[in-house]
Amino acid sequence: MNYVRCLRCRECKREYSIGPTHVCEFCFGPLEVVYDYEKIKGTLTQEKIEDRPKSMWRYRELLPLNDEPSVGMNVGYTPLIRAEGLAKALGVRELYLKNDAVNHPTLSFKDRVVSVALSKAKEFGFRVVACASTGNLANSVAALAAAGGLESYIFVPYDLEQGKILGTLVYGTNLIGIKGSYDEVNRLCSEIAENYGWAFVNINIRPFYAEGSKTFGFEIAEQLGWRTPQHVVVPMAGGSLITKIWKGFKELEEIGLLDEVRTRIHGAQASGSNPITSALKEGVDWIKPQKPKTIAKSLAIGNPADGYYALKTIRESGGWGEDVTDEELIEGMKLLAKTEGIFTETAGGVTVGVTKKLIEQGVIPRDESVLISITGNGLKTQEAIRDRVGRPLIIDAKLTEFKKIFEAKQKETDLRVHGTI
Amino acid sequence: MGKREEEMEVQVRIPTPLKKLTGEQDVIRAKGGTVGEVLQWLTEAYPGLKERLRDEQGELRRFINIYVNDEDIRFIQNLETPLKEGDRLSIIPAIAGGSYSRRRVTLTFPPKLIKEPVIYNIGHRFNVITNIRSANVSENVGWVTLEIDGEDEEYVKALHYLDEIGVAVEPVERNVIE
Repeated sequence: MNYVRCLRCRECKREYSIGPTHVCEFCFGPLEVVYDYEKIKGTLTQEKIEDRPKSMWRYRELLPLNDEPSVGMNVGYTPLIRAEGLAKALGVRELYLKNDAVNHPTLSFKDRVVSVALSKAKEFGFRVVACASTGNLANSVAALAAAGGLESYIFVPYDLEQGKILGTLVYGTNLIGIKGSYDEVNRLCSEIAENYGWAFVNINIRPFYAEGSKTFGFEIAEQLGWRTPQHVVVPMAGGSLITKIWKGFKELEEIGLLDEVRTRIHGAQASGSNPITSALKEGVDWIKPQKPKTIAKSLAIGNPADGYYALKTIRESGGWGEDVTDEELIEGMKLLAKTEGIFTETAGGVTVGVTKKLIEQGVIPRDESVLISITGNGLKTQEAIRDRVGRPLIIDAKLTEFKKIFEAKQKETDLRVHGTI
Repeated sequence: MGKREEEMEVQVRIPTPLKKLTGEQDVIRAKGGTVGEVLQWLTEAYPGLKERLRDEQGELRRFINIYVNDEDIRFIQNLETPLKEGDRLSIIPAIAGGSYSRRRVTLTFPPKLIKEPVIYNIGHRFNVITNIRSANVSENVGWVTLEIDGEDEEYVKALHYLDEIGVAVEPVERNVIE
């Protein structure tokens, strides 16, 4: 059963039939998938969803496929955690984490968008899939293409973290490192997409691809017992995820599975790559492109494709945005690890750091409910904190050796407890 | 800037998707003292352009970028940006995120330029890398299909330079090569 009506231009509202296309021919605006919500309302219920397997496909009526998904059947339904330790550290009453650092199979939220994109690409009859990526998308396209029997070409900035390079190559893809920034990679890919008949997940398949992110929002609502928190903090690179979490909430409201949504959506960026939060703070609605300079490479997009719509989402929901320095994001990563036992990548450090800032600024009141979106895994960006977590103590295999260092450690702790260190 | 505003002439580069509305011209000489006035002049001269450039409220469409010489007008004075004689305006559709312009062009050389190292020159004057994909040069006329790679700004500068010295520049449509 298919509930998709058409593609529609987000700007001039012209409608297009379903196909591998992403730009309005008339006004050059981006295209978006439109559903028949009336029809969905009549068929999709909370009970029906709850009875289905625990993956993102339990919301399939709100995803743009004609048939059953053919790629990424097990993606999604990641843990939603009540974070008592971090709540205490940040001084806020009710704090949750949505943890896509353990998403299947490649440990980031990108598996959600890619499984939709590749399933759709197969429906369209493509044999080769491709993407421009800052790393997580590369991992996901390579892995899911391998599992789905598709050939893949992946374009990344050549200086990515080792974990992201290895975690792409291992799946037997064609990985091309471009000497340039992500924005340059993206621009080159637009040209390649024009010249080769491939399914570029974030170019000509983009309207379908982006819909996968809504499931992050659907799961938040369902896992909280069909309600949404008062605040959601979302990292922003290209700006798509934040708009789709909001769209996901609004869709559930539209089809009657949620009461009126009053969530305020806040955007998080790194200070070295903050075109969206800058525009927000300046009160303008156009994005001034930047040349990113931050260790949060997965957020290093200076010319965000959905920047304008991210701003619109923030403003429409009554949210706000902040950015944090490299130093603050490292502190964010360490704080999350120490309080919740979750090792997130640099982007997660940004989101934690920004949440802290928004609480301190009073933008997020301390007695309200907050959810932090954790979108990627720290094992992929080890470089960022390699020199910031201390070193193991190396000893000979002798009890006396251990006693020595244990006693030294205890002394240190005692001193700290008594306030002399 | 000795001339009165209404006589001021500027060059406007029209992107491929809008060329059918300008009788296939890719460069138009237009009049006006500000970007807004030039757009007004253009949409009066080529009425089909109006709805493509402006929305129902008359605002410039969000995904149309306009450059004066090499500067995005949003970072100057927008439609109020003043122009001087000979300024070059480029209308460039932003395609979901990148200020994107077609990077494969066919250059047609007039006889006087056939012996000039034009392609070498653009590679040296501007920060672009050129790559010849196909070519045919005889004594009287020559054409080259060229790939130009580089930052938008440098690419646009290179195109303006080619215009200036009298090389005709045509974007290559999809699927012409390969």
